[in-house]
Amino acid sequence: MLTNLQALLQELSEAVFMLDKDGYIKYSNLAAARLTGYSNRELMNQPIHLLYNDDHSSNSIKLEYELSVALKKGEYVSEGWKRRKNKTFFWTEMKLAPLYEGQNSLIGYSLILRDITEKKKFELELLENEERYRLMVEGVKEYAIFFLNTEGYIVSWNEGAKRIKGYSTNEIIGKHFSIFYTAEDIQSKKPERALRTAIETGKYEEEGWRVRKNGSLFWVSVVITALYNELNKLIGFSKVTRDLSERKEAEEALRQSEERYRLLVEQVIDYGIFMLDEKGRIVSWNEGAKRIKGYTASEIIGKYFSIFYPEEDIISGKPANELKIARETGKYEEEGWRLKKDGSRFWANIVITAVYNNDGILIGYSKVTKDLTERKETERALRESYEKYRLLSDELKLKNVQLSSTNNELEQFTSIVSHDLQEPIRTIKSFLQLIEMKLSNGQYEDLSIFITKSINAATRMRELIQNLLQYSQLNKIEPLKEIINVKELVNDALQNIKASVEASKTQITVESEVETIKGDRVQLVQLVQNLLSNAMKFTEAENPQIRIKCSKENGHVKFAVSDNGIGIAEADLKKVFEIFRRLNTKKDYPGTGIGLAICKKVVDRHHGRIWPESKLGQGTTFYFTLNEETQETLPYNEKV
Amino acid sequence: MKKFKIIIVENDEDEQLFMKEGFDAVGLFDIVAQLKNGDELLEWLEGNKSPLPDVILSDLNMPGRNGYDVIEDIKGNPNYAHIPVIITSTSSTKSTIDKCLALGASDYIVKPDTFVVYEPFVKKLYEVIEKKDLTNAKDFSVATAKKSR
Repeated sequence: MLTNLQALLQELSEAVFMLDKDGYIKYSNLAAARLTGYSNRELMNQPIHLLYNDDHSSNSIKLEYELSVALKKGEYVSEGWKRRKNKTFFWTEMKLAPLYEGQNSLIGYSLILRDITEKKKFELELLENEERYRLMVEGVKEYAIFFLNTEGYIVSWNEGAKRIKGYSTNEIIGKHFSIFYTAEDIQSKKPERALRTAIETGKYEEEGWRVRKNGSLFWVSVVITALYNELNKLIGFSKVTRDLSERKEAEEALRQSEERYRLLVEQVIDYGIFMLDEKGRIVSWNEGAKRIKGYTASEIIGKYFSIFYPEEDIISGKPANELKIARETGKYEEEGWRLKKDGSRFWANIVITAVYNNDGILIGYSKVTKDLTERKETERALRESYEKYRLLSDELKLKNVQLSSTNNELEQFTSIVSHDLQEPIRTIKSFLQLIEMKLSNGQYEDLSIFITKSINAATRMRELIQNLLQYSQLNKIEPLKEIINVKELVNDALQNIKASVEASKTQITVESEVETIKGDRVQLVQLVQNLLSNAMKFTEAENPQIRIKCSKENGHVKFAVSDNGIGIAEADLKKVFEIFRRLNTKKDYPGTGIGLAICKKVVDRHHGRIWPESKLGQGTTFYFTLNEETQETLPYNEKV
Repeated sequence: MKKFKIIIVENDEDEQLFMKEGFDAVGLFDIVAQLKNGDELLEWLEGNKSPLPDVILSDLNMPGRNGYDVIEDIKGNPNYAHIPVIITSTSSTKSTIDKCLALGASDYIVKPDTFVVYEPFVKKLYEVIEKKDLTNAKDFSVATAKKSR
């Protein structure tokens, strides 16, 4: 059942990642590899911010923030650019959720990525058109540009209109445009005449006096254009007004008030403090803002505050949304990436507060920005050193394991030399002594038996030494990585043991789904040959049969060598690979007990696994794999 | 002099033959059984509940259940744990000896230089058993065995 779930996860069309507590990828499915262009192996143990949209070294800060939000809220969803291995971008929806084992023990995070680039493209095109138009009209300062409905009531308002006429957007929308005319003009129905002329001739132009909000008069040039829809129905008028009068006095007053305000705020250099108008355009700038963001006041005033946001935030409408929240709740607060003038990022804590005038009308927003990068840098440095030590300790652990395994092998070697190699020498010496005794007593009858036994012991001695050399040789040389044809490999092995195959009349069948494998030809031939010899040796069958199967499993090659021999007792399954170990059998089988130890060593050197499955009396299958990508088990998938 | 009942576990037939000659010549032991590995030993003990041997002498390196297995089998079974197991082998490596003693062997005696003359070995074995009072330790040997495991 577990393997089914594993397979389901693996094949799921959504890209699924599993992260550890620090955001390192511990598992990714096939869709994840397809989507990102990395192989699952490449993704393994990488921080997930590998996929973030640039190489910024502080990506870990963003990730840390996201993980903490996911942990706090149970889920973290965001839209944004992600980057493939080939550096191309795709727009994603990312869902991050903590994973618990048992009640409260956090073991990591699940992360699902969906590519919604196509959907986003469409939205973007729409947005871009609208945005371009809006920026064009609203950004114009020299002209008041606004729209009237068919009755002459104001339906839109721009920066220029605000400057020239003194009304804020909230105050003026819905008012009749005659509000700008003098009492005399209204009396003479000049506004109505202007609209009528526009309807009749398409356009009305004049220069004349108009009234500001504060009641002062100013000289303007006005163009009113009638607007028609595609059905040629009148839908309203555009009105463009240009202030031609001197306004120095008003400007002076404004500057003075700004001066006071600036002096107050400018003292602060640790915080970027500035005002936005109700549309989000920057209208003031302090020293802290200059220091943090790098813009001078003259460069930045009049720009939309979205200039500080990374592209993906702008595309997803984040700046506007922040203002909306500030408007609705009074305040918006967050931590996130912001851009400096030079395009570099910093991690900011920001607070946007809606600002109202005495009449309770929204006149803009204050924005306070603090650069947390420094603090975060320290945290990151700490984290990095922790990471470094973690890696170091992992490395040490590995080295320790390697050392102790080398140590074990050395110990084994000592015991082999002191015991297994001494034994036949002692036997030979014993028989030679016997022969000597017999000879000195003039007895000749048993001599030839003693001599035969001595020769046998010497032969065994030589066999042991050869095998031992072969075994220790495997340690010395790094195995080659040749491309080997599987059929040729098996044929080479069969050729080497041809005589005993024929003598035992063993039937050998070979099935392979795999064309070629990678490895050391000499060692792998030895491996297959030893398994075949082993299978042929431990049999009592009338018709000994051996089946060699080679298949692909989970991306690596798996061999199976099955026989119909005597099988292995369950208690002995673990001992078969011990060097010089000969396990009990009813009959005495020849051998030094090193063949399978060599097999194990060859497979180890090829980063594979070898194991037997067997039932006493029912044959044995030896399996081995080669070049396994990773020895680590996947989470939730304990090896059975 | 007291004679001890002994089981000898040794896979080499020639060795067994000369061992028997040596034991017979010295005359201090009754050989209860000569077996070729730990599997045969377990089988024998199962089939011959009494009398149990006073001492088991076992080779180390044997196909099937070897000398290490013999120590573990005997010391791990409450019925047999009181029987002293003495290991004998060609190897005089300290780590091998230590491993046997740690597993619960009562002693470790290196085999004679050749198997032709076994009498001195047999005499030494007898001395060890006497000196350590191995067979009279019956009453508390179970407890000691448990402790040592």
